Amino acid sequence: MAKLLFEWDYSSYPGAKAYPHLFKPIQVGNLTIPNRIKYAATEDNLNTEDGFITDADVSYIESRAEGVVGGMMFMQGVYMDEARKGQGYVGQAGCWDDKFIPGLKRLADVIHGKKAVAGFQLMDCGRVGAVEVEAGHGPSSVPQRLRIFKPMHEMSNDEVKEMIQQHIDSARRGVEAGFDVMEISGIVGYLVSNFVSSYTNRRTDEYGGDIRGRMQAVVEIIQGVKEVCGPDVPLGIRLCAEELLDDVRGNTPEESMESYKIAEEAGVDYISCTLGWQESIYPVISRDIPQGQWLYLAKKAKENVNVPISMAYRLFTPDKPNKAIGDGELDMWEMCRSMIADPYMPKKVLEGKEDEIRHCVACNLCLARLFRDAPMTCYINPVCAHEHKEEYYPKPAEDEKEVMIVGAGPAGLECAYMAAQRGHDVNVYDKREEIGGTLLEASKAPYGDEELMTCINYQKKMCEQAGVEFHLGTEVTEELIQDEMPDSVILATGPAYSKLEAAGDNLKNVVNILDVMRGKANVGENVIVWGNRKPGIGVALLLSNQGKKVTIVGKEKSAGFDVNPSFKWRYLIYLRQNGIMAYNDCDIDEVSEGEIIVKTYDGYRFPVKCDTLIMSEREANESLKKVVQGEGIELFVIGDALLPRNLSSAVHDGYRIGLRI
Amino acid sequence: MPVNSEKEITKLWKNLHNAQDEICKTYYRWREVAIEFAGPDVKALDIGLKAAEMMGKDVGKNLLPRLNWLKGEEGFLMMTGKALAGIWSTEGGIAFAEKGENSGEVFIKCTRCPWPTAAKGFAVPMEEVALTRERFFQSILEDVCVFLNINLKIEMLKAIPRGQGEWLFRLYKEE
Repeated sequence: MAKLLFEWDYSSYPGAKAYPHLFKPIQVGNLTIPNRIKYAATEDNLNTEDGFITDADVSYIESRAEGVVGGMMFMQGVYMDEARKGQGYVGQAGCWDDKFIPGLKRLADVIHGKKAVAGFQLMDCGRVGAVEVEAGHGPSSVPQRLRIFKPMHEMSNDEVKEMIQQHIDSARRGVEAGFDVMEISGIVGYLVSNFVSSYTNRRTDEYGGDIRGRMQAVVEIIQGVKEVCGPDVPLGIRLCAEELLDDVRGNTPEESMESYKIAEEAGVDYISCTLGWQESIYPVISRDIPQGQWLYLAKKAKENVNVPISMAYRLFTPDKPNKAIGDGELDMWEMCRSMIADPYMPKKVLEGKEDEIRHCVACNLCLARLFRDAPMTCYINPVCAHEHKEEYYPKPAEDEKEVMIVGAGPAGLECAYMAAQRGHDVNVYDKREEIGGTLLEASKAPYGDEELMTCINYQKKMCEQAGVEFHLGTEVTEELIQDEMPDSVILATGPAYSKLEAAGDNLKNVVNILDVMRGKANVGENVIVWGNRKPGIGVALLLSNQGKKVTIVGKEKSAGFDVNPSFKWRYLIYLRQNGIMAYNDCDIDEVSEGEIIVKTYDGYRFPVKCDTLIMSEREANESLKKVVQGEGIELFVIGDALLPRNLSSAVHDGYRIGLRI
Repeated sequence: MPVNSEKEITKLWKNLHNAQDEICKTYYRWREVAIEFAGPDVKALDIGLKAAEMMGKDVGKNLLPRLNWLKGEEGFLMMTGKALAGIWSTEGGIAFAEKGENSGEVFIKCTRCPWPTAAKGFAVPMEEVALTRERFFQSILEDVCVFLNINLKIEMLKAIPRGQGEWLFRLYKEE
């Protein structure tokens, strides 16, 4: 009889009826997990630099533990060697000594406090490790493809055995700390995957050779960890179903499936199906990858092994995993970024509150920060990684105010519901008939940008719940402000669009980006987009997909300067694939019939054909500011109206001012 | 004001060539610094070879993100040959890679090279120019070979500084 740690009865919840396969129990080893939800171990860089757990991490984990509603809640993977070669993140939790157990126990306790199953992950970062030391370790000293990673030292046979023992010792500490499920990380370039891959394992001893040889270290880890954990603690492993390293002679898909079979033979109780490495040239989890794209790999895994299969990777909504589980192609729905964006995501699904979910927009800012030694942050969730700070939660307003918010874009909406939740009387005005601000246009860009609108959908619901009143189709004027005389005005009007001096009065073929995105502007064959930030890239890709010849001219040193590096590379590839030339560090010097003159930063000038010139350069929006100040009304300017940036800044600005007002 | 294409291109062209000139000159200036620091017991040639080795290794690292095995061994060999020729072109040479008669070999040919001319200005022996270029290419390949688990070799068959009229390197896979 499998052990059940916590009783959960989902039968009365609407989500359990809508998604019955997600909220039914599953046996994993000798443990019964009440549902099919798993929060995947995710680094957060919130712990001390010597590996001890902090209050920030405890709160981060606790909120997500509540979110999994009885499912599996994994803490981040721990590094296991005192020499710190296996440490891949500056704030990664350590576990190379018993002194770490009390901190780890805090995490297990808060997870149990939410009646969730506590998962512990063993993660030597191998090839992407050694963040604080000179060199990393691995099966072979294959040079790093990316300079940001440290040089590799080939482990001796004794060092391999020591590493295996470190996994076993750390697993024992995890069990002593109170964790219920053990997991080995073997993904994306971490040490276990380095052993498995033909790309990085060139050994000729018993830990190298064919796939069985390359799996030998993994088999010994599995067997040793299993023994120390005992029969009541299930053991899983995260393994690549496809490495996507064919360009550097990595494993074939067949070898990867063989690794699954060998792991199962060795005794794992479940496998988390993953794909891709940090060194892969193929995208796996960015917004341009369709939801559910990789489910075929989970299905393939299930055809090859009998243990349960879980999977994350672009499964942001419950419908696809629910169906896949129902169809026998998946066993558990795993997630990390969706619960970085909304810690209570599965809970909201269970409670039938899907429209209250703040969805991840797959921008990968979280990863970009982690890889650059910064604490976790979320593009879309201002509270992420600040869960332990009181000041990030709304408190009732001391003085209830009449608040006028000008602009129903992401900044205005975020501010509106937060202020209204605190007891203010909030009125949102927008001259347009629908809410969304410039995101209405931005979301029309190709390669997945329609997902950006999930932000507006969430904010709209929050506003409705908080009693925010909307005045759409109403332009705010000096007279309106004087009539209403609110206590506070929030200007969230979006940016003003810069005027191109070189265009002078020659505006016949000059159009605004918003009109183009709406499909309301006539656009010729040869298009110049002025501005090389995200909006310029979006419109360029949209028009290029329509068959136009598009050129970008912008002042920033690189196109997509305002996009985080973990997503920017996608845009740069799409620009190249679509034949879009970007003249960066340049400006437009002249506009004439049929062509423009581009001027480089150092003064070179050259002509480029141009039938239509699209203005996407933005600047702060000063309108109404003086009027409000003149009336002596409290004023806040937020989002792009303050300084044109991105969706994230709009949301974070709105949230902060909503808390402050 | 209309664009004067000839003027714009001339300006660019001059600046490019000045920058290319500086590549060689800067290297030889640093060579003189290194010789002075190293003292009389160290041979200038050894310094040059060590510098070529270190620079080659670093250039090799730059190649790693772009290496791609998807076109197979032949394709990879040609891609590597083109990369080496490309380095020469960046420095101001006229260089190209061409397939050899035998499978598994690519030739890199350079018919115009800025290094010997610059070397003369610093009284560098021509044989040093030849040997350092060979060492430079060999060092580039070191990480490339380990990275893709392939044993590539490169040998110098002709060298302009040896009075042979052109540079010719043979890039091949050693079985």
